Amino acid sequence: MKSTLLIALIAVMIGAGPACRRAIVSTPDVQVVSGQTITLDANASVWNPVPVHLSKQIQQDLVEPRLMEASTQEVQIQAISDGNLIAFRIEWLDDTQDDLPGPARFMDGVAVQLPAKIDPNVPAPQMGETGKSVEISYWRADWQAVVDGRADDITSIYPNAKPDHYPFNAKPLENNPDAQAQAAQRYSPARALGNGREGPRTEPVEDLIAEGPGTLAPGPNAFSKGKGVRTRTGWAVVITRPLPAGFSKESPSQIAFAVWQGSHDETGARKMRSGWVNLLMK
Amino acid sequence: MARVYNWQLGREMSYWYPESRASKQFAAVFDINKCIACQTCTLACKTTWTSGKGQEYMLWNNVESKPYGFYPLAWDLKLLEMLDGQKWNEGGEKPVYEGSTIFESAPAGERVMGWRPEDEDYAYPNVGEDDCAGGVDGGANIFETHDMAWFYYLARICNHCTYPGCLASCPRGSIYKRPEDGIVLVDQGRCRGYQECVRGCPYKKVFFNMMTGTSEKCIACYPKMEQGIQPQCFVNCIGKIRMAGFINPPDKANPENPIDYLVHVKKVALPLFPQFGLEPNVYYIPPIHVPTSFTKQMFGPGVDAAVKTYREAAANKDDDLTGLLGLFGSSEMLMERWKRVGDKIIGLDAAGKQIVDVPLKEPVVERPAFDKLYQITRTNCP
Repeated sequence: MKSTLLIALIAVMIGAGPACRRAIVSTPDVQVVSGQTITLDANASVWNPVPVHLSKQIQQDLVEPRLMEASTQEVQIQAISDGNLIAFRIEWLDDTQDDLPGPARFMDGVAVQLPAKIDPNVPAPQMGETGKSVEISYWRADWQAVVDGRADDITSIYPNAKPDHYPFNAKPLENNPDAQAQAAQRYSPARALGNGREGPRTEPVEDLIAEGPGTLAPGPNAFSKGKGVRTRTGWAVVITRPLPAGFSKESPSQIAFAVWQGSHDETGARKMRSGWVNLLMK
Repeated sequence: MARVYNWQLGREMSYWYPESRASKQFAAVFDINKCIACQTCTLACKTTWTSGKGQEYMLWNNVESKPYGFYPLAWDLKLLEMLDGQKWNEGGEKPVYEGSTIFESAPAGERVMGWRPEDEDYAYPNVGEDDCAGGVDGGANIFETHDMAWFYYLARICNHCTYPGCLASCPRGSIYKRPEDGIVLVDQGRCRGYQECVRGCPYKKVFFNMMTGTSEKCIACYPKMEQGIQPQCFVNCIGKIRMAGFINPPDKANPENPIDYLVHVKKVALPLFPQFGLEPNVYYIPPIHVPTSFTKQMFGPGVDAAVKTYREAAANKDDDLTGLLGLFGSSEMLMERWKRVGDKIIGLDAAGKQIVDVPLKEPVVERPAFDKLYQITRTNCP
């Protein structure tokens, strides 16, 4: 009876998701396994043989506002490439799923940062520096929820909300979707300006560039894609983007990671970040 | 941090950016004694600016019943508890604040000392704040004198501060103060919704919009201001408690400017919680029926003198002051200048052109119920 229980327990541990899949031997660098089929599925078997780099995270303590209390200690990183795209599988522990925006509520998220140019003189790992920009692919849990089907409506965040009337729902506009959209934009200046912090979107990932703290801006290309899923212990997110220009076996690059836990009030500069790690093509 | 001069504190203080005053500074005077909390200002703002998705809970303008009303809940008490001291030295020529501001009290790792309201903190706008909350049992009454037989209405908008806490808090520089009129705005194209401004504004007048993912705030109706028209909450005020305009620093005070006259010359209008250190630009004529031991904390050490001047204006035949108060709400246009000519108070635009005149004393017209001319009782007309 006891041996049956033990076998059952081991079976549960084996099947407990990627976090408990195996004992992790961390590589010192992020090794990109080439010749693979790119997938957004964090549970695909393609990831099984891919070496894992355990990225040690530290508090962002360079600029105010700082993160004064540490949260996510490490992030598991895997990388594959098909010769055109590079995909990162990123997994970390997070007890809570934070994907509902609101006052004093913050979103789980993760970001991958690469130097914009492969150069021995690398930018500062904290968001780059003037003249030495970095490219960032940023995934957020609330964007994932929207892509996965959450409605663009206040009741999807507050199920008991009963808004009495919106001007764009006025009777004269009801058969004119264009006029409705135009009226709605008048009360959503951020959307009117194309600042898609929330609202309808097709990708849970955003491409950004930066030349130092406070300079984050939309990137010239929207080429990153991604998908995040909850694991039993946190998040597993896959982010894909084109291979960095000039990146090859002979010409390695650098990479850095940042992670935000919404339940820990982490947002913007309040984050757990890494320094640069070598990104090597295998 | 830079060193800047805050005339409301009577001293220099630390601020995130160097001193850079707008060429003109939006300002307003609210006469609390006239407010009846009808919330017309609140509705005027709401229907104009915050009728969109994600703005349902936002009140860029609100009126709360003090001392127990708040929006959001305990917005002032929470910060006052965090802010040590708050002592004023009143021994010199002018009062000097000896406590720390929110910038000087910033904990390690923060730009300002602040806090973020949560969902439930926004759940109690002024709906029946001054009504009885429940049934009263038969026979229940108060036998003794109520010690605190006062309350008052506090109408609030963004203070368009000279040293905004929101602006200092934003790590992206997404908040800016317009150099031409000092109006503080959130750049909706640049904001990334970190809510640092919500945390950093002590007045809690920046709101996070969960449907756009950005923070939004009162814009002082700048499209109207640019045309010389006062904001919506001003022109719709039933009680005519408000006047919008521009303020100069005290060393450049111009008595012909109505805001300067009330704030700097007569000193009847006072800033809201000057000790926070933001040099807020909405000035309040304090409620004259409230113990100044309470209002002093809210409006600073000038309260006693302000109440005295206001109370005695009529008895002292201070026609300038009583007349200017009559100019409130007399026109939707901005009155950047004013003057009294005999029994007339005249509001003028920046170029000196007359906008409106009001009598020093409204004539009393008695209209009997029975109209002799038409031989009819007015209350009996069809």
